[in-house]
Amino acid sequence: MNNTKGYWRLIKNGIFAENPIFRVALSLCPAVAVTSGVKNGFLMGIAVLFVQTMVNVTVSIVRKFIHPKVRIPAYMFIIATWVTVSDLSLAAFAWDIYKQMGLYIKLIVAFAIILSRAELFASKNKVTPSFFDGLGMGIGFLLALIIISFFRELLGKGSLWGFQFTEAKPLLIMVLPTGGFFAVGILMGLFNWIDIKFFGGGGASGGGH
Amino acid sequence: MENLFELFIAASLINNFVFTRYLGLCIFFGVTKKMETAVGMSVTFTAVMVISAALSWIVYKTIMIPLSLQFLEIVVFIGIVAGFVQAADTIMRKMSPGLYYKLGIYLALITTNCIILAVPLINAGERYTFIQSLVFGLGSGIGFSLALVIMASIREKLELANVPKSFQGLPISFIATGLIALAFLGFSGLITL
Amino acid sequence: MAAVKKEHELIVSVSPHVKSEETVSRIMWTVSLSLLPAFVMGVYFFGPRALFVTALCVVSAVLSEYLFQKGLKRKITINDGSAFLTGLLLGMNLPTSLWSFNPFMIHVPIIGSFIAVVITKQLFGGIGFNIFNPALIGRAFLLITWPRAMTIWTEPTAAFVALDAKTTATPLGILKEEGVGKLMEVFGDQLNLYTQLLVGYRAGSLGETSAIALIIGAAFLLYKRYITWHIPVSFLSTAAALAWVFGGKDLGTGKMLLFAGDPVVHLLSGGILLGAFFMATDYVTCPSVRKGQIVFGIGCGALTMLIRLKGGYPEGVMFAILLMNCFAPLIDRSMKSRVFGAVKEQKK
Repeated sequence: MNNTKGYWRLIKNGIFAENPIFRVALSLCPAVAVTSGVKNGFLMGIAVLFVQTMVNVTVSIVRKFIHPKVRIPAYMFIIATWVTVSDLSLAAFAWDIYKQMGLYIKLIVAFAIILSRAELFASKNKVTPSFFDGLGMGIGFLLALIIISFFRELLGKGSLWGFQFTEAKPLLIMVLPTGGFFAVGILMGLFNWIDIKFFGGGGASGGGH
Repeated sequence: MENLFELFIAASLINNFVFTRYLGLCIFFGVTKKMETAVGMSVTFTAVMVISAALSWIVYKTIMIPLSLQFLEIVVFIGIVAGFVQAADTIMRKMSPGLYYKLGIYLALITTNCIILAVPLINAGERYTFIQSLVFGLGSGIGFSLALVIMASIREKLELANVPKSFQGLPISFIATGLIALAFLGFSGLITL
Repeated sequence: MAAVKKEHELIVSVSPHVKSEETVSRIMWTVSLSLLPAFVMGVYFFGPRALFVTALCVVSAVLSEYLFQKGLKRKITINDGSAFLTGLLLGMNLPTSLWSFNPFMIHVPIIGSFIAVVITKQLFGGIGFNIFNPALIGRAFLLITWPRAMTIWTEPTAAFVALDAKTTATPLGILKEEGVGKLMEVFGDQLNLYTQLLVGYRAGSLGETSAIALIIGAAFLLYKRYITWHIPVSFLSTAAALAWVFGGKDLGTGKMLLFAGDPVVHLLSGGILLGAFFMATDYVTCPSVRKGQIVFGIGCGALTMLIRLKGGYPEGVMFAILLMNCFAPLIDRSMKSRVFGAVKEQKK
C-alpha cells in the first residue's frame, strides 16, 4: 500500500502547491488581522487547523446522508458548530488572547477556505483522506500565519512570542494595518518570485476568488 | 442624533472594515478587478448588510437573550444571513429576473464575507439599540462600498502599469491597499467614540 | 448601449500626458529649481542640518531608484529628475531634528526615501503609474513609524551655525493644543505673527515655513505653465473659507464660534502652500481633467481643515492629499465618462 505516501502528498499539497494564503489566496482576512504577533497568529492557525480537520471529517462522514440541494447550508451548520466549539474552548483556556481576537475566531465560520475544502474535497472523499487534506490545509495556513506574524512582530515590536529583544520598536508601522498589507503583499511577491525563478512556475497567484 | 451620525462616520471611514479592521478581504480583492462588478457588489452588499443587521438584532433580542442562548450566536447569525440570502435569491429570481441577472451572482458570494457576520456579532457585543444596529450596518456597508469602488478604479489604472512580474495581481493590490490604509489613518482621532 | 460601452473602454489614458522623456525630465528639473528659494530659506533658518537631512533624502532616493532598476534589469531613469525631486520634496517635509546621532535618527530619512521611491513608485511600474505622491507616502510612513522623532521641531535661528537648536511647537501645534491666545503670546501681535509666517521664521518642516519663497517658486511654475491654477486655487480657497467659518473658538468657553476663524494663519502655517502648489499638482497622482482637478482641490482643502480642526493631528495637508490621491482615478473616470455622455445629445 502506498497510502502513507498519498496522505503525505495531501499534506504537502496544503503547505506548498495549494497554500491557502500565498497560493490559493483564500481567507486573506486573518492573514492580516491576527498576525501582529506570533502568539496570536499561532493560536489562530491552530484554531483553523482544528476546525478545518474536524469539518472535513464530519462532512466526509455525513456526505451520504445530505441531500445535494441543502448541502451548503448543512456544511455551514457543521462549520458553525465546530467554530463555536473552538471559540468557547479558547475563551475558557486562553482568555487573555481571546479578548484581543475573539471576533476573528468567531469569523472563522465565514472563511472561504473551510467551506471550499469541505465542498471540493471532503464531500467526495472517504474519512481518512479528508482528515489528511484538512490537516494539510490547516498546517499550510498555520505556517503562512507564522511566517507573516514573525516578520511583523519582529519588525513592529522588536519582540517574538511576546519576548522583548530590544526596547526600541524598529518599525512600528508593521503592526498597524498598513504594515499588515505590506507584509502579505511583499511575502506573496517573494513566493511568486521564488516560484518563477526556481520552479519555473507562472507566478501571479490566484487573485481572490 | 449626533451620536448616530458619529456612529455612521466611525463605521464607514474611521474604522473602515477593509482598511482598519481587515475584514472582507476575499471579496474585496475578488470583485475589484472590474469596476462593474465592484459597483454591483457594493449595492447588493449594502442592502443585505442593513437587512441582516436588523433581522439578527430582532432574533437576538427577542429569542436568544430571553432563552440565554447567546453562546449559539455564531450558528444563529450565520443561519440568518444564509437564510436571508437564499430567500432574497429566490424572491429576486421570481420577481425581477433582470435585477437577478445583474446582482444574483454577488448574493451567492456574500455568505462567505466575514463582514456580513461581523456586523451582527459586533452589534450584539456592543449592545447597540435597534436604530444603532441599523446605522452601524449602513455605515459598514457604505464604507465597504467606498473601499470597493476606490480599489476598482485604482486597479483599472494598474492594469496598464509595468509592475514587476512577481508582484502582478494580488501582491501589488495588497501593497496598494496598505497605502490606502496609510492615507485613511488621517481620519484617526476624528471622533472619539 | 453597446456602442457607449465600447467607447468607454477606449478612454484609457495614462497620466502624465507627456510627449517625450525629455519633457518629463525638463518638468522635473524645473519643479526642483522652483523649490530652491524655499529650500534656501529653510537652510538659512534651521542651519546646516536642514541641508544634511535633505541631501541624505535626495541621495538615498536616487540610489534606491538606481539599485531597484539595476536589480530588475530595467532601464535606469535616474537622470529624469523624478527621484531627485521626490527626495527633495521628502527632505523639505521633514523636521531638521532628524539629523541627529544621539539618539541615532539618520536612518529615518533613508527609509523614508526607500519607501517613497521603491514601494510607492517603482513597484507600481515606475514614473507615471504610481497612485500616490511618493514623497508624501514616505513622510506618512515615517510619521506613523516614528511619531515622536517626526514631531520634534527646532526653533528657527537664522544664524546658520547653531547645531543644537532649542525645540519648540509649530504654530498649528500651538493653535490645536492651546488656542489663538497662546499663539499671539508667542509671536507678539498679529502683524508680527503674519510677517513672521510670511517670511518663514517659525518652527516646522524645513522647507514648508517660508510662505513668500514658496509663492515665488509657485509663481514661476504658473508662469511657465508647468502647473495650472485649478488645484492650488480650489485647494487654498476651500481651506481658507472653512478656516474662516469653522476655525474660530470662543476664548472663554473653548466652544466653536462661527465665522470667526483666521484664514491667514491657516494658509500661512503648516505645509499647505508647499502641498497645494508642489505636491497636490503632481501630474501623475491628480486627475487629468480640469473639472476633476477642481473637485480634487476642493477635497484636499476640505479634508485638510477637517483634520486640522477635528482630527487627531495638528496638520492635515499630507493626509488630505493622500486621501484625494485615492480618489483621483475615480474622479478622472467619472468626469471623463460624463464627457462621453455627450453621445446622448447627438441622439436628439
